[in-house]
Amino acid sequence: MAIYKRGYERYQGPLTSHWTRVLVLPRFAWRRLFQQRLVLILMIASLIWPLLCGLFIYLSNRLDLLQSLPGDIKNMLAINGKFFLIFMNVQSVFSVLLAALAGPGLIAPDLANNALPLYFSRPMTRVDYVAARIATLVGLLSLVTWLPGVLLFWMQAGMAGWTWFTKNWYLGAGILCGFGAWILVVSLVALACSAYVKWRIVAGGLVLGFFFVLAGVGQIMNAVLRVDWGSLLNPTQSMNIIWSAMLGVEPPSGPGVWVCAGVLIALAVLLGLVLERKLRAVEVIS
Amino acid sequence: MTSTEVIFTDVSKFYGEVLGVNKVTLHIPPGITSLVGPNGSGKTTLMNLMTGLIRPGRGSISVLGLSPNEPEKLMRVTGYATQFDSAPRWATGMEFVTTGLTLYGYSQHDARDRAWQALDQVGLTEAAERKVAGYSKGMRQRVRLAQAIAHDPQVLVLDEPLNGLDPLVRAETITLFRRYAAEGRHVILSSHVLQEVDLISDQVILISNGMIVAEGEIRGVRDEISEHPSQFIIRCRDASRIASLLFCEDHVTEIKMNDDRLGLLVLTRNREEFSQALTRIALAGYSIDGVIPSDENVDALYEYLIGGGRS
Repeated sequence: MAIYKRGYERYQGPLTSHWTRVLVLPRFAWRRLFQQRLVLILMIASLIWPLLCGLFIYLSNRLDLLQSLPGDIKNMLAINGKFFLIFMNVQSVFSVLLAALAGPGLIAPDLANNALPLYFSRPMTRVDYVAARIATLVGLLSLVTWLPGVLLFWMQAGMAGWTWFTKNWYLGAGILCGFGAWILVVSLVALACSAYVKWRIVAGGLVLGFFFVLAGVGQIMNAVLRVDWGSLLNPTQSMNIIWSAMLGVEPPSGPGVWVCAGVLIALAVLLGLVLERKLRAVEVIS
Repeated sequence: MTSTEVIFTDVSKFYGEVLGVNKVTLHIPPGITSLVGPNGSGKTTLMNLMTGLIRPGRGSISVLGLSPNEPEKLMRVTGYATQFDSAPRWATGMEFVTTGLTLYGYSQHDARDRAWQALDQVGLTEAAERKVAGYSKGMRQRVRLAQAIAHDPQVLVLDEPLNGLDPLVRAETITLFRRYAAEGRHVILSSHVLQEVDLISDQVILISNGMIVAEGEIRGVRDEISEHPSQFIIRCRDASRIASLLFCEDHVTEIKMNDDRLGLLVLTRNREEFSQALTRIALAGYSIDGVIPSDENVDALYEYLIGGGRS
């Protein structure tokens, strides 16, 4: 046996905080994502509708012409819950497209390259890893969802005045919370697909399929079986019903708000379980 | 309690019905320790257990007094390079190592400094700013090693670290391992190249089917294998006469003479008595140029203890 000098001394210097470390992964991922032309194009395209909405808000508050329109038409062009619901529905489509583009690249390559031990042999837990990946999508999708939504809300509040704000503050809260819930669902779907399928393109297709094919299946079930619970298969429709309630708009026909919320929570739990099952430091093939 | 050893106490790990390791009890002191065994024998499972990547189903593990239940502390003292080529192809070697360090909590500035030092230690500074996609197999192996040593760990766990390295880099890497060992650190590695294991290891752990077959210094392990006679090569001028004298000894079971009649291969069941017999022969005036144990190596231990399952 060799005799050792034991000259080694551990690092005693300062270290960054836990969450700073967790946010290293999103920072790295965002840099990568914004280097992709397709992501940039989609991001720019997804900001066109908020710009048009902003223009509409400006015009509706400034043009005397609109003020002098007859009551029915004026109501139709009013900035209210319905206006923001339409805004949210359009932006939700862009958020799904962005998630389908960005999400699969977050976990699938790590699984394909057996890179998870690289993360988990550092002071990083599986929960940290998932939180970091969700944070990546939250950051990305926020840019096209609640951030422009809240900006539009404040723009309207600023232009319409304090009275409008006191009567409609719940719209701002609805936009924030509604998009928050949506981002969580979309992120979990994207990450679960990315964890389930190791090939990025297939995982991206799976994300799109999850939202668009399920919507079709739900519609077919409603039509064939003459029921309305088929809508529960469609997360977009379920979320739309919840958003309607949040924004004080007459909800589309279908299951109730609490049923929709329950289904989306169950979906989130299920997707969490998929991630728990797939994200292991060691993959055992029996 | 502070300990300087990696300790496994009655550790078992099953992946469902698949055996990982079974009832493993080990005390690994500082120095270079090699895990040797066929594919699927449990080497990687042992490494994953000691780095806290997986938890044992039974038993306990202590790494320098730290439990895998304290991953935050444990992972600061361990550095792990898996057998997988996991470095992202689109990142540069520098980015890969730096990002790993920021995950440990080093500031960006410190991380870059340390990453540079680590890349320097593995001889990769010239290619540091090149993308991993353009690296050769040996370079990817080295960048993997760099990310494992960059945070200056006390326990370095390396799965097949010498695969794919050219002889010069291999020698430099072995020197690095020796330096780590000389500082009182652990270098625990697995290797299929048994000659290399022989050359660099302070101790070996032989594992087969998830069970520890033997552990300790190579010579110590060899001494305990009584069912296989020890083999010695004797270089001498009067080989036939020395062979006839050795045949008179009860402990000598077999003697083979070299074609050049200047050497013997002697098999003995008692090393002590063999040594005494050789001394008597030398004192009687017979010239013996050298005596070399021919099976005090991992190759022989592997053959004796694990046998035909070598991969």
